[in-house]
Amino acid sequence: MNRIEKRMEELQNKNEKAFVTYMTAGLPDMEGTKALIKAQAEAGIDIIELGIPFSDPTADGPVIQDASYRSICKGTNLKGVFAAVEEVRKDCDVPLVFMMYYNTILYYGVDAFARKCAEVGVDGLIIPDLPKEEQFELVEALDNTENAPILIQLVAPVSADRIPMILENARGYVYCVSSMGVTGQAAHFHKNVRKYLENVKAVSKIPVMMGFGIRTAEDVAGLKDTIDGCIVGTHFIELMEENNYNLDVAKEYIRKFKKELNA
Amino acid sequence: MQNKKYGEYGGQYVAESLMSVLAELETAYNEAINDPKFIEEYNYYLKEYVGRETPLYFAEKLSKKYGTKIYLKREDLNHTGAHKINNVIGQILLAKRMGKKKVIAETGAGQHGVATATGAALFDMECTVFMGEEDMERQALNVFRMEMLGTKVECVKSGSRTLKDATNEAIRTWAKNAEDTFYIIGSAVGPHPYPQMVKEFQKVISVETKKQILEKEGRLPDCVLACVGGGSNSIGMFAEFIDEKDVELIGVEAAGFGIETGKHASAFASGKAGVLHGMRSYLLQNEDGNIQIASSISAGLDYPGVGPEHAYLHDSGRATYVSITDDEAMQALRELCREEGIIPAIESAHALAYAFKKAKTMTEDQIMVVNLSGRGDKDVHTIAEYFKDK
Repeated sequence: MNRIEKRMEELQNKNEKAFVTYMTAGLPDMEGTKALIKAQAEAGIDIIELGIPFSDPTADGPVIQDASYRSICKGTNLKGVFAAVEEVRKDCDVPLVFMMYYNTILYYGVDAFARKCAEVGVDGLIIPDLPKEEQFELVEALDNTENAPILIQLVAPVSADRIPMILENARGYVYCVSSMGVTGQAAHFHKNVRKYLENVKAVSKIPVMMGFGIRTAEDVAGLKDTIDGCIVGTHFIELMEENNYNLDVAKEYIRKFKKELNA
Repeated sequence: MQNKKYGEYGGQYVAESLMSVLAELETAYNEAINDPKFIEEYNYYLKEYVGRETPLYFAEKLSKKYGTKIYLKREDLNHTGAHKINNVIGQILLAKRMGKKKVIAETGAGQHGVATATGAALFDMECTVFMGEEDMERQALNVFRMEMLGTKVECVKSGSRTLKDATNEAIRTWAKNAEDTFYIIGSAVGPHPYPQMVKEFQKVISVETKKQILEKEGRLPDCVLACVGGGSNSIGMFAEFIDEKDVELIGVEAAGFGIETGKHASAFASGKAGVLHGMRSYLLQNEDGNIQIASSISAGLDYPGVGPEHAYLHDSGRATYVSITDDEAMQALRELCREEGIIPAIESAHALAYAFKKAKTMTEDQIMVVNLSGRGDKDVHTIAEYFKDK
């Protein structure tokens, strides 16, 4: 069973919410990335989204743009991240999702990419510039690959009528973008966020996760009845940068967030 | 065009939050171009405000020198100095029709920015133009013009600080504000329906050219040439001739310091397609699949991709794409100044440079049309710098 689905099922059985973080691969360096994945797993993170840096991250705000840029300057590329995941998988079973732009996959080769993900143990993919209508090529490659990662679907506050179409055959979890625009706009959710999340929840057969602009468990306290968990990206990167990628800070943040989320 | 694509190129590679925005745009656009009133209004502004039609000028001295008939389509005589205004009038009328109050745009050389700022002033829209920091230095005059027209020029300092990054920033801002903001894309790039829309609003170039050449020569030209950055003036020049199989279509990309140096802006030279700015097309990429920085003396051609229909025309063999170096373009620029008394934009000088090469292979009674997409006023600083060291 896919690690994401397994984890989500376990949480559901315990009646707990999922907590997911995003980190840019290759920061502070590749060794540090591996250490941070393991530290988070130890602290009980449910899923880690690993950002594969791309030169033109149009769905990201300044913080993740800057992180991607610095990571590329350090020589991070897809091959290097695959090697790091392979290494992490030797003694760590935390569900891992690649968050990346489609060009990186196209350049690597869609079929080869699907096979490599399965081989090293990548569990999911989030591709912000690949809407449902453009997914057929990748979906075909994933369908033809054993143990292929799940393609996580994103929905936005303006998706409206598109939601049932997007969620047909969706697996893992639904990524609900909480606001319009790019990552990292501090807790400025779309004005109709509750209604929108309720709409998604009504249609979705899989857990509904909310992301974009979340910093603390308190930010989502009022929405807990409609969501199955949340994702912190930009804030987690800022926290790590401010604290020099101190693993204890990461662990403490995750433990506290998880506790409050499930309080 | 099928399924929002030209063969395998084009499409809508954008964030989910923009998909409904694009659907709304597509519906509004299709209604507009099928509405005679809209077309009438568009044509009215092209004639009365832009100053169309532009002349198809027979360049007598050059024709004599190169031994073939050379015609120049004078898009440089448009209001604001380039073809960019044709498309802006179309898109801004569409924005108005959709009830949008704000427009944003990206710009490289600043011509599209100036055209958008102009349209925004005319139609009372709040306008923000994104421009790379490096381009702001190269095209300081156009920055000043935009500000004069009441537009806010947003300086983009990320990445290569040129058109590519200005486009990234415009897309981000659009995704955030799409509910009340219209994004006016200046080139034949971006997600569907933009490439189609830009072609529609630029095809006036070839519609006029066709009519004018038939009046003057009684037959179609043997070839038409235009420079290609993203590809808006070239797709406008090709549009009416694509189905005229005897007319050779030639697009001229920027070879910068030379293709072999790696410092160029020729998306076709790379030979590899990918996804950028919402579309699938040929792109300059490095060995990790990151987008490579384009290089050209001309800010308007300094773009690592090319419009999806050009990619399709390239693969099908219907159009030919060649490239011209900075040096070749600057020689052609000087030649046009001296021979015909016209200072062209450096972008357009690329098309001219190849035209002169091509002309040598043609006969006296053959005809070529070169699209003179813009005037060189904005480039005088760059031109002066270039010739200072020569």
